[in-house]
Amino acid sequence: MPIGFAYTLVVLLVISSILLTLLVLLHRGKGGGMSSMFGGGVTSSLAGSSVAEKNLDRYTVLVGVIWFACIVGLGLWLKLAQQG
Amino acid sequence: MLSAFTSAFKTPDLRKKILFTVFIIGVYRLGATLPSPGVSYTNVQNCIKATETGDVGGVVTLLNLFSGGALLSLSVFALGIMPYITASIILQLLTVVIPRLEQLRKEGQSGQAKITQYTRYLTLGLAVLQSSAFVALARSGQLFSGLCPQDNPQFTIIPENTGLPYWLTLTVLVLTMTAGTGVVMWLGELITDRGVGNGMSVLIFTSIAARLPSEGWSIKQSRGWGVFSAILVLVLVIITLVVFIEQAQRRIPVQYAKRMIGRRTYGGTSTYIPLKVNQSGVVPVIFASSLLYLPQLYLQFFNPNELNGYQQWIQNNLAKPSSWIYILTYFLLIIFFTYFYVSITFNPTEVADNMKKYGGFVPGIRPGKPTADYLDFILSRITLPGSFYLGLVSVLPNFFFIWLANEQYVNFPFGGVAVLIMVGVGLETVKQIESQLMQRNYEGFLR
Repeated sequence: MPIGFAYTLVVLLVISSILLTLLVLLHRGKGGGMSSMFGGGVTSSLAGSSVAEKNLDRYTVLVGVIWFACIVGLGLWLKLAQQG
Repeated sequence: MLSAFTSAFKTPDLRKKILFTVFIIGVYRLGATLPSPGVSYTNVQNCIKATETGDVGGVVTLLNLFSGGALLSLSVFALGIMPYITASIILQLLTVVIPRLEQLRKEGQSGQAKITQYTRYLTLGLAVLQSSAFVALARSGQLFSGLCPQDNPQFTIIPENTGLPYWLTLTVLVLTMTAGTGVVMWLGELITDRGVGNGMSVLIFTSIAARLPSEGWSIKQSRGWGVFSAILVLVLVIITLVVFIEQAQRRIPVQYAKRMIGRRTYGGTSTYIPLKVNQSGVVPVIFASSLLYLPQLYLQFFNPNELNGYQQWIQNNLAKPSSWIYILTYFLLIIFFTYFYVSITFNPTEVADNMKKYGGFVPGIRPGKPTADYLDFILSRITLPGSFYLGLVSVLPNFFFIWLANEQYVNFPFGGVAVLIMVGVGLETVKQIESQLMQRNYEGFLR
């Protein structure tokens, strides 16, 4: 397989990784910190998600799927390249 | 019990939440087994097999436990929620030190949201650091404590002969793992938001539970049925005891005075403040064990064959989980951190002030400072057995492998942190499902 293919995947993976990180950071945090994590405080999540949040979810899932595909593709390519 | 399960599935919105949680857990486990691009899966498996018999380095064992074995195989979600936990611990401790954070915490909902946002930023910063650290450890072979040398082509975790420049492979690896940490964080938040239970703890729960069958089986393989079944019985007893103590609480009665507003009377009810025996959960254990990793981390910088006097002492005592000094230090640290954490999370003066504001009082105690003193007194007395219990359960695995005479069981998943987390998270999640069932008048799981 041509090496250009691998470079395309690498570029895609880098871009999608950075985008994904930014998109995740754009979400409103929902965790209540340490005390709610292991039993302790009472967490109430009364706030519903807004329209903006829903769209953000959609984009995140989309980028996530691309990211995932790139990982699998690049992993397979590297494996094949190593054997050859 | 079973009828409660079916009724949980008959409630449409609850069913949706449970199925959503299961789906996210599936995604998480998938990412935890998927190797990052550039990591050779077969070589990693060779390494894991080679180290199975010896003792795996101390620094990574707890981390590996929390990531469900994903860390050692350098998968996409290798870091798991560890950076998030570290970030929350750091911010929690900083609230005591930095006045601005303290102010935010007192602000209530909006301030808390801001702190959470800081935690998220810090998590990704830590993720970059940790992923580069682990990639570096894997390259030098220290991830498996030198048991699989990297110049042997059978063991090379990150192979070089791929056609891509090596620095590019490493950069992509670090980037992927950092983004993976972000995704794990998001998955956890999705569970908190739309599923059942607290997302982060559900994910930790999954990672630990995922390792139980294989760990149990390896004990059976090396020790035979006798020891295996004895351990199973012991584990059941431990779990029962842990559930018993986790549920235990002291109820301080509170009476609310009747108030006339217009023609209506308000209040006049009597309730109670529940003070749990183990008010702090497993947080102290996590604090203590991360502190006890420092000596081991320190020793990693030196050649194990050329240690001077005090370094050797550290190696034989503080870095060796079967030594009495180690166990005692661990135990004392846990007791200290239990008191420390309870004092951070429960503020008697604040509770007493709130009670006074709404006309509540503990029968026989004056409101205000006497109530605060009373609460403080009860809290410090009830925390003593709580801290002993946490300490005892946590050092249990250390006794286990003195008994089994094998260092492999350092992070034996049936004792210590693992059981505490699993029981704690399990109880919390079931309680949440139950409270949702109660809204529809069904019988719950716990009676």
